[in-house]
Amino acid sequence: MRNILAALLIGASALAGAGAAAAQTGPLRIEIDQGVIEPLPYAVPDFVPETPAAAEYAAEIARVIASDLSGTGLFREVPASAHISKVAAFDGPVKFSDWKAVNAQALITGAVSVTGNGLTVRFRGYDVFAEKELETALQFTGTTDGWRRMAHKVADAIYSEITGESGYFDSRVVYVSESGPKNDRRKRLAVMDYDGANVQYLTNSASIVLAPRFSPTGDRVLYTSYESGFPQIHVLDVGQVQRKVLSSGDGTMSFAPRFAPDGRTIVYSQTQGGNTDLFSMDINTGANTRLTSAPSIETAPSFSPDGSQIVFESDRSGSQQLYVMPAGGGEARRISFGEGRYGTPVWSPRGDMVAFTKQNKGRFHIGVMRTDGSEERLLTASFLDEGPTWAPNGRVIMFTRESQGSSGRALLYSVDITGRNLKPVKTPDGASDPSWSPLQK
Amino acid sequence: MQTGTKISLAGHGLLMTWVIFGAWFPSEPLPSNVQQVALISAEEFEKLSQQRKAPQVAPEPAPLNEPAEVQPAPEPAPQPDPEPEVSRPEPVARAEPDPQVAELPDAQPEPEVPDAPPPAAEEPEIAALVPRVRPEAAPRPVDRVAPEPVAPPEPDTRIDDVVQPEVAPDEGAETEQEVQEATAREAASDRIVTEENEGEDIAASAAPAVSKRPVTRPSRPKPQPAPDTQVTEAAQPAKPEEPAEPEPSGTSSAVADALAEALAGGADVEDPEPSGPPLTLGEKDALRVAVSQCWNVGSLSTDALKTTVVVAVSLAQDGRPDSGSIRMLSSTGGASSAAQQAFDAARRAIIRCGASGFQLPAEKYAQWRDIEMTFNPERMRIK
Repeated sequence: MRNILAALLIGASALAGAGAAAAQTGPLRIEIDQGVIEPLPYAVPDFVPETPAAAEYAAEIARVIASDLSGTGLFREVPASAHISKVAAFDGPVKFSDWKAVNAQALITGAVSVTGNGLTVRFRGYDVFAEKELETALQFTGTTDGWRRMAHKVADAIYSEITGESGYFDSRVVYVSESGPKNDRRKRLAVMDYDGANVQYLTNSASIVLAPRFSPTGDRVLYTSYESGFPQIHVLDVGQVQRKVLSSGDGTMSFAPRFAPDGRTIVYSQTQGGNTDLFSMDINTGANTRLTSAPSIETAPSFSPDGSQIVFESDRSGSQQLYVMPAGGGEARRISFGEGRYGTPVWSPRGDMVAFTKQNKGRFHIGVMRTDGSEERLLTASFLDEGPTWAPNGRVIMFTRESQGSSGRALLYSVDITGRNLKPVKTPDGASDPSWSPLQK
Repeated sequence: MQTGTKISLAGHGLLMTWVIFGAWFPSEPLPSNVQQVALISAEEFEKLSQQRKAPQVAPEPAPLNEPAEVQPAPEPAPQPDPEPEVSRPEPVARAEPDPQVAELPDAQPEPEVPDAPPPAAEEPEIAALVPRVRPEAAPRPVDRVAPEPVAPPEPDTRIDDVVQPEVAPDEGAETEQEVQEATAREAASDRIVTEENEGEDIAASAAPAVSKRPVTRPSRPKPQPAPDTQVTEAAQPAKPEEPAEPEPSGTSSAVADALAEALAGGADVEDPEPSGPPLTLGEKDALRVAVSQCWNVGSLSTDALKTTVVVAVSLAQDGRPDSGSIRMLSSTGGASSAAQQAFDAARRAIIRCGASGFQLPAEKYAQWRDIEMTFNPERMRIK
C-alpha cells in the first residue's frame, strides 16, 4: 500500500514538475553554437582633406586602409559606388541608417591635413549596427613621405579594435630577390613593406645570399652569404646598410641563423667534418656554444618567443622530423609524427604554434601544429612550398612558392592560419625566403 | 425397408455425395466465345460491300499482254546495274559511317576552339574539376562558411540574408503585386576549405589527414562491482530500500514540496510575465537558426573564439530587437577584451538578423519578449 501511495505521489510530483517546466519562468533562453565565417562588410569613404595640399593623400590613404583590411580576408569593403551618405566633415554626424542600408557593419572616417612637409591623419571607427563609435579615435603625425605607414597604422588600429588581435600592416618583410633563369639565378637581399610596396635592395647580386632573418626589433638582418666561397653568416644593419661577418671557423659552413628573442644571441647550424649540428653565438663576444652533438643533421633552429626552447629539424630518427629542446641544449623531444618529411619549423610569435614545411607524396605543404605536435593542419599544397614566416600577430603566414619547369619562378604567398585567403604577394621580381619583421615602432 | 425408401436414400446419398465431392471433379467450363461487334450504318455496309465487289470487276485480264510486251523492256541489260546497286547498299551501309565521320569533321572545328566552352551541361563537371587543375593563385571558390552549405546563386541574383523569389509585374493581374527582386543567400561551404583539403569529401576531411601523436592512455580505475550493483539497483524504482532512511524522507519532502508548489499554482514564482503556452521546440529552433545566420565569427580573435557570452535582449511585438536593451550578462573562457569582441559580434548578429523582426508567434509575445541568448563559439573553432 505504501509503495502504491509513493508511486502515486512520485507521479503527481512529476506532473507538477512538468507543469512547472512548461510554465517558463524568467526570460526565454536559447543557445547558439553555430554561426558563419565570412568577411565583415565595412566602408571607408575617402578621408576629408582639411587643407588643399591634403587632397592627394586623402583618397590614397583610404585606399591603402581598404587594401590592408580587405587583404586579410576578414573584411570586405562596401564599394564607394554603393554609399548613400557622403562624409563631408570629419566631425559631422554619422547617418547610421544609410550605412546600415548598404550593410556596412563598420565605418571608418578620417581627415588629412598637410602643413609643409608634415602630414596629420585623424580617424574614427564606428560599429554601425550598434550605432556607436569604436575606441579607436587617434591622430598620427608624420611626414608626407610616410603617408603609407600612417595608413597602415590606421588600418592596424581598426583591425585591432574589431578583431581583438594586434595588427600587422605596419611591418616589413626581408626576402631574397631573384632574377634571371633558373640555371643562372641572381639573388640579392631586399626589404619591402608587408604588402610589397617600397622595395629596397640591401645587397648586390655579386654573390648568393640565403635565408635572411629579421632581428626582434627589426633593425638588423641575419643572412647567409657565399661571398667567401662557402656559406658564412652575416649581420646587416637595415638602416645603415652596414654588414659584418659573424661566423666562424675556417673551413666550416655556417647557415640557417636566427635571432634569439633577446636580440643578442643567435642560433645557427654549422657543418664540421661532414656533421651538421646546432650552435648558439653571442653576437657581441662571438662566443660559440654547441647545442647538439648527434651524428645526424640538425638544422633550421627557431626560438620560442620566451627564448626558453628551440624547435629544429633533424633526421636522427631516420627521416626528417621536428624536435624541441631547451634553448641551452639538452634532450630533444620529437613533435612531428605524420607521414612525410618535416622541415623549416618556425615558432609562432604567440608561442602556441609551429609553422613548418612538409613534403609528402611528391607535394609540398605549409602547415601549422601545436608546439606539442598536436592539431597538425596543412594549409597549402603545391609543387614546391617552403620557408614559412609569421606575421607579427601570429595570424598570417608568408612563404615561398616555386612553380614547376625550367621557366618556373619563386614567388611569395601569404595564407591565414585557418588556410583561408591564400594569395600572392606583389614583388617586382621573383622572391623567396621571406622573413617578417615585428610591428614598426 | 421399403423400396421407395431405399431409392430415396440412394438418391439423397448420391445427391449429398455430389454436393460434397462434386467440387473435386470440376467439369470443364463451357467455352464461351466472345465476339466484338461493331455497329455500322447501312451506308457503310454498302461501301464495304462495293469494295468487296470491286475485285470482281477486275476480271479483265486482257491487258495482261502488256506485261508480255513489257518483258522485253526488262531490258534487263540495265538490270545488272541495279544489281550492283543492290550490292552497293552494303557499301552504302559502309558509307553510313562515313556520314558520321563526316559529321565529326563538322565537329572538328572544336580543335580550332580548344578553349571553347563545352556544352553548358558539362560546365558544372568542369567547374568541379577546376580546383585541382587551376592556377595556384585562383581565388577560393567560397568565402563564406555556414552551418549548412549553400549552392552558388544565379549570377543575376542579389545576395541577401533572406531568400525571396522574383516577382515580376503581371499586366493581367487584377490586383497590383509589388515588384520584388529575386534574392538568394550567399554561397557557403560548411567548413573552411584550404588548398590542401579542397575537393575532399566532408567525411574525408573530418578524418585527420594529419599526424596524431601517440598518446598514452591513462590507466582507468577499474570499476568496482559494489557500486555497479548499487547503480543498477538505483535504476530500479524500488530503490527506496537502499539508502534506507535518508532517501525516503528526502523523497517524501521533495514530493511534498513539489505537490505544494503544484497546488499553489506557482504562487511562489515571482516573475509573472511569461504566461500562456511556451514556445515549441520548432519555434525556438527557428529563432536559433535566424540568429545563427548573422553570427559572424570570422573576424574574431583566437581568444574571442574561446569565449562564451550570455546576452540579454528585449524584443518588440513585431519581433524587432531593442538595440538599447542588448547587454552582456556574463562571459566565460576569455579575458574581458575577448569577451567584448565576442559580445560585439553577438550584438551585430541580433541587430542584423532582427532588423525585419524575428518570426515568432505573436500570441506568445510574453514568452519571447525577453530573451537570453548564449553564444558558444566552441563548435566554430573546429571548422
